[in-house]
Amino acid sequence: MKLTFNPSPNYRNEQSTVSIMKDVLLCLLAVDLYAVIYYCAAYGAQYGLRVVLMTLTACVSALLTDVIYYKVLKKDVIKEVKSSFSLITALIIVLISRISTAYYAIVVATVIAIFFGKLVFGGFGQNIFNPAAFGAAIIMGNFAGSYSADFATSATPTMAAKSLGWMITSGEFSSFISSYGGLGRMFLGQYASTIGSPCALLILLCGAYLIWNRDIDWQTPVFYIGTVFVEALIIGLMHGAGIEYALFSVLAGGVIFGGVFMATDPVTTPVSLPGRILWAVGCASLTLIIRDKSNLSDGVLFAILLMNMLTPAIDKLFDGNQIKDADKFKRNVLIGSACSIALTLLVGTSVKSASEKASAVSESETPAETGGAPAASANFGEALPMSYNFNANKASCEIDGTEGDVIRYSCKAKGFGLVTNADGDYQMNEAMVVVNKAEGKVTSMNVITFGETGGVGDAATSDEALAQFEGKGLDDEVNLVTGATFTTRSFASMAQAALKAAAEGE
Amino acid sequence: MSILTGPMRFHLDGQKELTAHKAVLKLPEPDDLYIPLVNGRAACTPTVKEGDEVKVGQKIGEPSDGFWFVPIFSPVSGTVVGIEKRMTTMLKPGDHLHIRNDHKYSAVRAFKSLDYENASREELLEFVKNAGMAGLGGAGFPTFNKYTKPDGIDLFIINAVECEPYLTADYANSMANPELMREGALALLKLSGAPKGKIAVKEDKKDLIEVLHKQFDGTPIEVAEVEDIYPAGWERTLIYMLTGKRYDRLPAEAGCILNNVSTCIALGNALKNGMPITEKYLTVSGDGVQNPQNVIVPIGTPAAEVVKACGGYVGEDCLLIAGGPMMGRTIPNDQFVVGLANNGLTVLQHREEFSVKCLRCGKCTETCPSGLMPVRINMAEKAKDIDTLKKLSIMDCIECGLCTYICPSKLDVTEGIRRAKRYMTLVK
Ligand code: SF4
Ligand code: SF4
Repeated sequence: MKLTFNPSPNYRNEQSTVSIMKDVLLCLLAVDLYAVIYYCAAYGAQYGLRVVLMTLTACVSALLTDVIYYKVLKKDVIKEVKSSFSLITALIIVLISRISTAYYAIVVATVIAIFFGKLVFGGFGQNIFNPAAFGAAIIMGNFAGSYSADFATSATPTMAAKSLGWMITSGEFSSFISSYGGLGRMFLGQYASTIGSPCALLILLCGAYLIWNRDIDWQTPVFYIGTVFVEALIIGLMHGAGIEYALFSVLAGGVIFGGVFMATDPVTTPVSLPGRILWAVGCASLTLIIRDKSNLSDGVLFAILLMNMLTPAIDKLFDGNQIKDADKFKRNVLIGSACSIALTLLVGTSVKSASEKASAVSESETPAETGGAPAASANFGEALPMSYNFNANKASCEIDGTEGDVIRYSCKAKGFGLVTNADGDYQMNEAMVVVNKAEGKVTSMNVITFGETGGVGDAATSDEALAQFEGKGLDDEVNLVTGATFTTRSFASMAQAALKAAAEGE
Repeated sequence: MSILTGPMRFHLDGQKELTAHKAVLKLPEPDDLYIPLVNGRAACTPTVKEGDEVKVGQKIGEPSDGFWFVPIFSPVSGTVVGIEKRMTTMLKPGDHLHIRNDHKYSAVRAFKSLDYENASREELLEFVKNAGMAGLGGAGFPTFNKYTKPDGIDLFIINAVECEPYLTADYANSMANPELMREGALALLKLSGAPKGKIAVKEDKKDLIEVLHKQFDGTPIEVAEVEDIYPAGWERTLIYMLTGKRYDRLPAEAGCILNNVSTCIALGNALKNGMPITEKYLTVSGDGVQNPQNVIVPIGTPAAEVVKACGGYVGEDCLLIAGGPMMGRTIPNDQFVVGLANNGLTVLQHREEFSVKCLRCGKCTETCPSGLMPVRINMAEKAKDIDTLKKLSIMDCIECGLCTYICPSKLDVTEGIRRAKRYMTLVK
């Protein structure tokens, strides 16, 4: 019998970090499983299988990174890996990626997330940035070709909203939302987006479960999602949008997923409750500012990363005694939140809805005349090879007339996919593509029907934008028009279809 | 509680059913007793010498300090063997008066009993002082001291909360001696000058609440049920729960004066029977002892004897704790003796915790009853960042242990705070 000394207290709560992480992992798996089922049902088994394989890829990469790192450092691998909780990061990376993300991009993101995002900082508990957001941001920024075109789905709501300048007024809303089956279906998760984002209901249930189990606090998700809602509501009202716009702002993209699973990562957020509330409000504000002003379609990831950098400062701001400094803390939270909300609203005043943009164009002295569609001038972005896999656009061509080597094709292709006709089918874009068969090049391209909502993608129908197809063959490249990438692809797919048809001598 | 602070408390499993409803065992008195010659902070000078015969209740020591004045009395009859050094519960060696028990129990009346209702305030205060009454909740603060100049007190509080897990000694004592408790409580109420009093008890102790109602209904003392949370028995939390007031230094600032229920019982016994505190109700509990139960032991009994009487240790590696597991110290040697302020021995089987790095979950901050930020304190202590430590008001820590209890990463958070305190005193 031996009596041991151990400093008091000698009594422990049952809850452990391991049990917290298990609960979070369980919730992430539930969301992942839902995604598998949804993609199977909506797009077919190979899509569902892809989600499974992406998940496995990420998990294996994460574990291997851990194991190799700790092996090299000659640490007790089992113990370290057990307290590194990398599977959570791996799953989050999968869930914030799109179904079209290439496997190698998942591997890169996971390895970067675990190694640079966590291990080099000293491992779990020491990292500054949310590792999953860190890894995902790196591949988003630098691996443009990391999307596998075979698995394209239609535009996600955030991309669609982005192309509208993140402002949809009441008048435009119903036709806009119809392609996602309405807000109700968005809430239940019946649309394509990032793998984990769509089912708001399921994520919220997970959040409730985690809060109930005291795995996360309620303040962060509630203040984060709540602030996004309130700010979007006010900005919307300034532009004539209604409450449905605010609801859409919350449901679209990663707000709910980020609010429940990423903003609540305790390691990278402040430790005190007032700190967390201020952090959440700031993060929500940044999310909207990034949506409105940057060229990213969603702002959640970068907002989280930017706020991660402020975490130490916020922690310092709330150092003190919670009873004696209660008034000071309250003041800091109020002033900080008020400033960040005011800034967001200020940015929000400059946002323009599609109809506001259209009226701005018609008031100006330079009306554009391109195939009948009002066109904004085009800014060119990334290169788009003409040999790109355009399967998703379902382009088709018919010969309209032939003059020697010059063949005129009348082509159709799916565009942005937002507008449906009476049968519930997508309204196709139509164009006249003239091809020189001998040269294998496009001679000209003209829009017949622009089947998309006014304001969406019309930059891709400008003279400049269409002129870039002239003289292009299958080995050439054109450039995506900024803010109208889906429409550019739609027209490029028609050009490709016409060129192929000409080459096959039809 | 506001959304900015978290609950600052926590409901923890009290493990009280292990001992609460078992019969109380009266320990056979040991042959040798070692009476600690220190109560609270001041050392006592023995008033007997080697070879003297002593009787139960005879005064054997008196402090020279007028402030920490708690005289001590012999718990048994027998012969004084001498003064010996033994390890105390403070983990330091201290003087103990060794008495060999003659098992005859010949007693003297330590002092005259007193009818508190007819006595003057001064007489009563003098009585409390000479009867060696001290805070029996743990600190051992001399009771009379609180009552010398009570001013503007409007609430007298009796603490029968016993929030420390595993301990049920106060409960057993109250169940067994309700009349003495009433006597002592009303006497202290008189001393406090407060118009009314409250006896605070956890809402789940239904049988005790019933007993209290029987004793106190019709007196100015009201039975106040409080939630089963930790640390409901700590002065500040208790006063906040009962009055909604926070205070800076002393409960008197909130108009309150506070005493433990076992102090009331001891005072009742002194008033009625003229006997000082010679024995204690002690909870022996935990998974490291064969028969967890409450026992009555004379002061000066070595812990080893107590554990033996409860069937001995279970397991090969145990933690022996003087008190409950939250605030009690582990003592790696069972030769220390039961003193005035002990109310329990908790014996737990020792298991290593699987601890991971701090998750920064903030749970320690949300539950700290003093409103501290233990995680920030530990970070600042590691960085030796003295300015931040000053801002974090670490000296307000009462070492209640809740931050370690709650920490999901199983870190020794409280110990880190103690380290920070030591560092602060060193640097200053
Ligand atoms: S031990 Fe100190 S810091 Fe920890 S919870 Fe208790 S009072 Fe707060
Ligand atoms: S409870 Fe433990 S893990 Fe959580 S912040 Fe405090 S010290 Fe860190």
